[in-house]
Amino acid sequence: MKRIAIVLFVTLVGVACLFAGGASETKASDSMRVALLLSGPANDQGWNAVAFAGLKAAEEKYGLQTAYSEHVGIADGEAAYTDYASQGYDLVIGHGFQFGEPAVRVSNRFPNTKFMAIESNVYSKNAASYVMACEEAAYLMGMLSASMSKSGKIGMVGGFEQPSIVKVVEAYKLGAKSVNPSIEVLEAYISSFTDVALGKEAAIAMADRGADVLSHVANQAGTGVIKAAEERGLLATGDSYDQNAIAPTTVMCSTIYSVPMLVLNAVEKVQNGTYEGGVFYLGMQDGVVDIAPYNSFDGIIPDSVKTLIADTRKSILNGSLKIPMIETPTRN
Amino acid sequence: MEPIVVVTTFFAASIRMAIPLALAGLGESISEKSGLLNIGVEAIMLCGAFFSFMVVFSTGSFFLGILAGMLGGLSMSMLHALLSIRFKANQTIVGLAQNFLALGLTSFLFLMSFGQTTTLPSTKVLGDLPIPLLSSIPFIGQVLFSQNLFVYLTLGCMVLAHICFYKTDFGVALHAVGEHPIAADTAGLQVHTIRYIAALFNGILGGLGGAYLTTVKLGFFQENITAGKGYIALVAVILGKRTPFGILGAALVIGGAEALQIRLQTAGTGIPSQLFAMFPYLMTIAALLLTIGSAHDPAALGIPYDRDKR
Repeated sequence: MKRIAIVLFVTLVGVACLFAGGASETKASDSMRVALLLSGPANDQGWNAVAFAGLKAAEEKYGLQTAYSEHVGIADGEAAYTDYASQGYDLVIGHGFQFGEPAVRVSNRFPNTKFMAIESNVYSKNAASYVMACEEAAYLMGMLSASMSKSGKIGMVGGFEQPSIVKVVEAYKLGAKSVNPSIEVLEAYISSFTDVALGKEAAIAMADRGADVLSHVANQAGTGVIKAAEERGLLATGDSYDQNAIAPTTVMCSTIYSVPMLVLNAVEKVQNGTYEGGVFYLGMQDGVVDIAPYNSFDGIIPDSVKTLIADTRKSILNGSLKIPMIETPTRN
Repeated sequence: MEPIVVVTTFFAASIRMAIPLALAGLGESISEKSGLLNIGVEAIMLCGAFFSFMVVFSTGSFFLGILAGMLGGLSMSMLHALLSIRFKANQTIVGLAQNFLALGLTSFLFLMSFGQTTTLPSTKVLGDLPIPLLSSIPFIGQVLFSQNLFVYLTLGCMVLAHICFYKTDFGVALHAVGEHPIAADTAGLQVHTIRYIAALFNGILGGLGGAYLTTVKLGFFQENITAGKGYIALVAVILGKRTPFGILGAALVIGGAEALQIRLQTAGTGIPSQLFAMFPYLMTIAALLLTIGSAHDPAALGIPYDRDKR
């Protein structure tokens, strides 16, 4: 009887590992090999989903051989980089601030592999950080939210209090204040990118305090924020990609971080042999950051607001307006 | 905002946060009282959340959805019971393995059903159901009697469980098999049957806790939607000393701490957010310290019962 139990066990654990370990796929040989590390599921309808889309776009365009790992925790980043590098991958991309340090540490041992961390701030000879100027789009979201608020209070839910998130929250606040200096921006960091229930609860707390436009930069957990706004009949803005489909009568506009552009950019450099270490900032001018169309809100948002945002967008594009990158929270 | 409104919305939020913990915790306490230690509460809740969402999504019926959530939870708890009782496996390991299994399984089935999309499949949520008359009582009516079905259900389950534990023969039998299965067996109690029944309740209640997340709170499913709530429910069981009202109280303390930290943050104090994130856990540790010493685990907790062994 014991033996059956053991066999059952091993099977159970084996099956569990099989499912939990994420997926990978392979294609034809001797093409360039690129791997992607994600902090959550590729299917999170947000931050990770856009990176996955980027990988797939690059795969199609350059005939790459790709692989990806989901649910790579902060502690597992180094192991995941080492794993792919020792398998001979040409480029290993970590999608998130927390992948920066591990990339640099591993990069010394694998000089022939190129390492990339998106949204980080460290580099070595063959490891680079690619930073999207998310604050440019967030500034516009802040302007839109403040313009559309009737109560004079708007809310912003952040994931972790880390530089890549803080800069979005702070730019959002600046944008809002530029339209209405007396606007009150309620902010909370929920210390999670995945807890949708907590994200929703934070948004409800803001709505209870009178906020009537809710925004987020909390990946998967941000979906809870949008849903809370929908339930209360409030307005919301999305993050990472056009999130209007989640709640068409609630999401006015979204920031767009075009990770595909970023990935294509890096892959191109690796192919040309020009990939090098450093911290690279890519923003609206490079076509990496933008805002989504207004969709069903096109007729609802007043023309004056639309013009204001379009003008500001233009000034960012032509370089006459520089949005500051603030990486430590300012609290009022 | 008026102070009374602040307090009312805070208590309502605490209850919303506490419900899944209380339901799953109650289920686990029944299981533990019988001597079955199932740390796979996360798995039970996740399956409950997933299957109730799938059924509500495809049929539009909340009744069927909640039923499916219970069945989903049941599948996990019965698998645990089978391995622990029939095959005498290590209960902690089985529970742990199930947590991984459920995470992979629900993510996989979700991916199979909807694919890798950026559109979120979502359903309506079960609305609030104010109780006539009672809901018009000031404050209490707002906090307690203007809630959704699950809140009433949880309170009802707590009362029923309390009566069952301490006033019925089944309660005595449940405690007996958990404390001294050999004596219980000698006295003619079916040790294994009672443990299976306990696992049954564990699955149903945990499944309900998971179903609450998708059918009431969110209206959608995402991978790992429970985000560790099953583990917090385990804490509520210990903190509440396995008594129904103790667990409810513990769940309210943990849920209340979470609701409070979010509210304090939005109030715009100068305190770093990481401190706020720690707050619910600090509260839990403080509560554990204050109640130390008086806890009593069932003597046969986690030990498989073998009739032929002395």
